[in-house]
Amino acid sequence: MDPEISSPDATAREVSGPTPVAGHEESSHGRSRLYRLLHHPVRPIALLVLAAFLALAVLWTATWNLGRVEHENARETAETTSRELLDTYEAQVFRVLQQMDQTLRSVQYAVQLRGDGRTAFDDLNDRDLLPPDLIFVVSVTDHDGNLVATNGASLLAGDADDDILDLARESHSLVVGQPVAVGDEWRLPVGRRLTAPDGSFGGVATVEVDPTFFVSGYEVSRLGRDGVVGILGQDGVFRARRSGDDVTVGGRTDYESVVTEQGFGDTRTVLSTNEWDGVRRYTSARELYGFPVAVVVGISENEALAPADDRTSTYVARAGMASLLLILIAGVLAWMSWKLDRVRRREGEAQVAHARRVEHLAYHDSLTGLPNRSFLGRLLEDRVRLAGRYGQQFAVLFLDLDGFKQINDTLGHDAGDDLLREVAERLEATLRDSDVVARMGGDEFVVLLPTIANADQVASVAQKVIDSLAQPFVLLGEQFTVTASVGVSLYPQDGADVQALMKNADIAMYEAKEAGKKAFRFFSQWMGSESRERLDLEVSLRQALVRQEFELHYQARRDLDSGRITGMEALLRWEHPRLGTVKPAKFLPLAEETGLILPIGKWVLRTACRQNVAWLADGLPRLSVAVNLSAAQFFDPDLLDVVASALEDSDMDPELLELEICESILARDTFKTVPILEDLKRLGTRITVDNFGTGYSSLTVLRGLPLDTIKIDRLFLRADAGNAMAHEVTDALVAMGRSLSSSVVVHGVETREQVDYLRSHACHQVQGFFFDRPSRATDIAVLLRGELVTAPSQESF
Amino acid sequence: MAATTRIPSRFRRLAAAFALALILMPDSSAQAVQTSSVADTVVVVVSSDSPVTEITRLHLADLYLGRTTRFPNGEPAEVIDQGTTSAPRADFYERYLGRSPAEIKAHWSRLIFTGRGRPPRDVVSGEDMRRLVAENPGTIGYIERSLVDGSVHIVRVE
Repeated sequence: MDPEISSPDATAREVSGPTPVAGHEESSHGRSRLYRLLHHPVRPIALLVLAAFLALAVLWTATWNLGRVEHENARETAETTSRELLDTYEAQVFRVLQQMDQTLRSVQYAVQLRGDGRTAFDDLNDRDLLPPDLIFVVSVTDHDGNLVATNGASLLAGDADDDILDLARESHSLVVGQPVAVGDEWRLPVGRRLTAPDGSFGGVATVEVDPTFFVSGYEVSRLGRDGVVGILGQDGVFRARRSGDDVTVGGRTDYESVVTEQGFGDTRTVLSTNEWDGVRRYTSARELYGFPVAVVVGISENEALAPADDRTSTYVARAGMASLLLILIAGVLAWMSWKLDRVRRREGEAQVAHARRVEHLAYHDSLTGLPNRSFLGRLLEDRVRLAGRYGQQFAVLFLDLDGFKQINDTLGHDAGDDLLREVAERLEATLRDSDVVARMGGDEFVVLLPTIANADQVASVAQKVIDSLAQPFVLLGEQFTVTASVGVSLYPQDGADVQALMKNADIAMYEAKEAGKKAFRFFSQWMGSESRERLDLEVSLRQALVRQEFELHYQARRDLDSGRITGMEALLRWEHPRLGTVKPAKFLPLAEETGLILPIGKWVLRTACRQNVAWLADGLPRLSVAVNLSAAQFFDPDLLDVVASALEDSDMDPELLELEICESILARDTFKTVPILEDLKRLGTRITVDNFGTGYSSLTVLRGLPLDTIKIDRLFLRADAGNAMAHEVTDALVAMGRSLSSSVVVHGVETREQVDYLRSHACHQVQGFFFDRPSRATDIAVLLRGELVTAPSQESF
Repeated sequence: MAATTRIPSRFRRLAAAFALALILMPDSSAQAVQTSSVADTVVVVVSSDSPVTEITRLHLADLYLGRTTRFPNGEPAEVIDQGTTSAPRADFYERYLGRSPAEIKAHWSRLIFTGRGRPPRDVVSGEDMRRLVAENPGTIGYIERSLVDGSVHIVRVE
């Protein structure tokens, strides 16, 4: 049984397994290793090498086979040639010997007929019955061995060797003597016994021939230089033997071993080393019929096989070349394949790395590198599951920075980002490695304490977190103190699932904020009604735009001298279906915190513009409309587009649009604000400084701004009319405003005393409950129409 | 009692040298005849009745080596030799065929052995030769110049 099946950590291994086929393995656990081996992706380089080896094997097998066939053919040819040449040679020798025997028989007959050797010989000679004396010497001796007659220089003339006489004397058939050297020539005598009339030995008739005669038919073209032909006596003495141009006479060898078959069957050709000269030959030999000699023919193995061997060498050389070429090609292909493989692998690695990066981005906050909301969600899910299973406790800390909004607005996004990064670092430094810090977005962080012993431990951690963040932060070279509020929910008592735990931690966090910030709170059943209300509000706010619950009210601005309406300020109202009218002071901060201020602000701008144009179309007087821009709107990179499109879509005269911006925003960073203001001016709109005098900004700064109107906050007017100090401040503000812009508006005017005062202090325009309450557009239309009829007199104020 | 000899393989070389000599020195043979101090140089003869008056060396060699049996004019020819050991014979072969007796013997050995020919008939003396040739117009032979008479005439060898 495959051990992997029962392996308890199989699951873990599958998850962390480095092989890409881990998923596949899961389904083929029970299958054999062979199966996996066969299904393992084969690398092209391995195939290539295999193919090259196969090709080489085929090539060399073919070459070897070809060589073998060549060799075999050459051998067969040599054997055949050897046998054929033997046949020819045998026929030649046999014919010559028979002629010689015929001559001897003729001599025998003539001697018998004439009774005298001499006479018989001359008779034959005269009749031209003797063979040519150029080659053959015919002789007759008497019974004593004395030469009686000859047609040439017979060796029997002397007493050189009478071996032939002894032989002939004893035999009644043809005898072949031994070769005898005569001067620089050789003689081979062949003889027959002559019989006297009385039947006794009457002498010998001989034919002598140069033994080389028997090998004169040697043809180099057929036998080669190392072939052999020879005539071998049964006594084992070569009468003549020739190899190439070398002729040997005499020489003894073992007759039996050369002439292996003495029957009449087919002669076998034997490849053997010839004993007489040490050359290996395809040797054929046959005993002649009726003569005591055998003929021998041999073809040298070296010579016979040389062409085949040469061809084989050529094949081998070619195969060698082909192999080299093949290896070279295979090598180049393998090299290319390897390179391709490497490129692919790198691409694969890059893809994996990219996928990891994407995954990391998907699960981490890009600003701080902390786990993000979704990653935390997964971690919490896991934690809930495991803690539920093992009965463990854990804590969720919901952390929100106090006053981050202000820092972001006043110092800019970059500083805000720096702050968030620093917060993240501090949190991580404060917490243990096993704890999880995640960023939810904005200035919200969540800390997961995966294992806790008791609430006290959590409290100390929360306090440590708050303390670590309470240390001043250095942003843009200045020290800032940012505090944090922390809400804590505990598993399992504060929630059985992730949503409940998060919500309750959030509620606890708001509770801490409400309680004065820089604090932590544990969630409790009773807390959170207010926080919940706030959450409800946030949810409602998100839907308010869609449900068209917003409405613009307008408050008139009047010329103090004439009492005529000079313009309007658009004011946002929210009619909540359940809660009724919600005060801007209540929902605007929430809108700013949630970022909803941007779409809401856009809506305000567009609605105000459309309304202005609608009034004009109704024949009402040309009046400016002032719209407030929040900090978020003002610094929004899309601001210019938003304003421009609002103007364009409504076809409103840009001059009538006044954008009101708080002094605190304008004075924050003139490097940033001046270009924005100039862009807005370029659109044709007018710029109004709102809440002038509350921003603690220097005159120098304000003087550099392209301002049209200064709006002085009512705060200064609320002061007791009799308060000389307040009046002085107001005087100064009005004076300053006048010096900075063309007109000064005081809003929040509520009492006759204030009006009187302002009138006596050269303030031209006012706005406030004393004159007009903010009203719906329709009411404003009625008001304006009334104005057209009767201009209100000064006295009416 | 073994002994090895080498067969002279000069035929081709000699033939080549001979052909070369023919080309370069067309008069060499005439000079050789004239410079020879021996008055009895061997000459080629045919019957006085024979129309043959001249023959090339090559044709003469072909006749005496058994390669042809006809005169240049197409008439059948029988060549006659003198005795194997006679001086005129050796002289003849040396002078007209450029070959030694051993070479001639080897030549006929091969032909006889392989059954492709038979050496010319021979006669014992120059006189016999002259008589035989004179009586048989189809024959050709050689004798010492001194033996030439009206019964035969000398064939010019070119």
